[in-house]
Amino acid sequence: MDITASRVVDVTRVVRAAAANALADFRATYTWYSWTFGWLGRMLCQVTFFALIGSFLHSAEQTRYLVLGNSVATCVIEAMTVVVSTSWERAHGTLALLAAAPSEMGWVFVGRSLQWPVSGCGTSLVALLVLDPLFGVHFAAAQVPVLVLLVVLTAFGTYGFGLFLGAFVLAAPAVRNIVYNAAFLVTMAISGVQVPTGYWPFGVRLVAEALPATHGLAAVRALADGASPAAITRPALYAAVTGVLWLTAALTAFRLSAQRARRHDGYEFAV
Amino acid sequence: MSPTLFWQVFRLQVVMTLRTPDTLHVFVTAPLYTTLFLAITEHADRRDLAGFAVLAPVLMSLWSMALMAGGELIGHERERGTLEAVVATPARYSSVIAARIAAVTLLSTLSLAEAWLVAWAGFGILVTIAHPALFLLGLLLTAAAMAGTAACVSALFVLAPSARILQNTLSFPFFLLGGVLVPVDYLPHWLQPASKAVFLSWSARVLRAAVSPGPSHGTTGALLAVVLLGLAGFAAGTLLIDRILRRVRVTGTLARM
Repeated sequence: MDITASRVVDVTRVVRAAAANALADFRATYTWYSWTFGWLGRMLCQVTFFALIGSFLHSAEQTRYLVLGNSVATCVIEAMTVVVSTSWERAHGTLALLAAAPSEMGWVFVGRSLQWPVSGCGTSLVALLVLDPLFGVHFAAAQVPVLVLLVVLTAFGTYGFGLFLGAFVLAAPAVRNIVYNAAFLVTMAISGVQVPTGYWPFGVRLVAEALPATHGLAAVRALADGASPAAITRPALYAAVTGVLWLTAALTAFRLSAQRARRHDGYEFAV
Repeated sequence: MSPTLFWQVFRLQVVMTLRTPDTLHVFVTAPLYTTLFLAITEHADRRDLAGFAVLAPVLMSLWSMALMAGGELIGHERERGTLEAVVATPARYSSVIAARIAAVTLLSTLSLAEAWLVAWAGFGILVTIAHPALFLLGLLLTAAAMAGTAACVSALFVLAPSARILQNTLSFPFFLLGGVLVPVDYLPHWLQPASKAVFLSWSARVLRAAVSPGPSHGTTGALLAVVLLGLAGFAAGTLLIDRILRRVRVTGTLARM
């Protein structure tokens, strides 16, 4: 086996072991009914809350825009939870051990919080396929596989962005909830969830272009509007590319953070 | 509870909250929610709804902060191993909890200034309060009702298997039922009676009337509903906490509470 192949096997093994941890964490947090009636119910209420603003504005078009945007945003919110769960390793006191282990720490964190984008995809798809028709947004059966793919792209692209933020929150776990809330709310504001990105000034639009959610959502909107395959594929590709770039940035940030922590003993226990 | 003790507990909680950045996250979320709501109303060319868009994040902050405080006060005492010592003091524990929640809730009313500033500096909208006395009374009674309800919530957190899930679950369903942004008249008819049991719906009605020009009709009944529902929450919370404590003292399971 050459060096590259052996490295891929190593990375897969690390991510798989960390993902088993993620699954155990998820099962300890939720039961099927607390996820369904607690989390999912709450997120559907959030989507309805924003959709009703459209009704309040007496605009069917606005209602449709808001319900679709906020349904996709549910997977963004959930995938971004990685910002919070990454810092849990410090509260558990396991970070120093991870820093001492021979495998690259970034890949551990890639697997460590996979429960969130997976659960987020479930939440988004329920919102899109069950709640949205009540507000006039319908997807044909033939569109569903593409819709699933686009939601997965959006959730995992955002997960890369969240991981990048998580690498910094490791150094300051006390602000994890602030960073998490700010990150998903800024995304919800500028990425075309509530208003078209064109509403914002040029600088803000530029930031929005760097977010996978902006492109993932644009692709879902194009699909819902029955646009041509090219009009759906282009933003989907942008979502994939920005997602990969954020993941690369996150792995680099974890690598640099681990190097710095090893030198300065920076990974002590912290709640 | 004596006023001195109330003040000491209140002050302690203010100091603790100010030193824990994460508990102040509503001061980050309030301006961002204001931005979201104002972007929607401005994009729809509905400046007349700016007052609604500024008030909603304030009510959301009050509720979120009360939920957070209600949910985590007991949990933190338990984690730090200080719960037994606090319960053993002569002060009634439910009153200590109420004073601490009141401090957190009062702090979160500062989000009003933030929301107002976002409207002014970010969108060039000057939100004026047409009926200042009604607004101040409404805000104070809402904060008090919030503290009362949070006392009840803190008891629920003790009984619930996962406080964090309950905390997450109780946010948007209540924002929806409470009509914090969109009046409850826009909810489906079958859901509207349930919103009457949520004091937020009455608070939102009072505060919206206070920022709207023209006479403010029907606010006395709404203010009364806020007071009554807040008192009911406080009474239920006090009763529950006292009963739970009496039981765990007998069974010797306080540490597992």
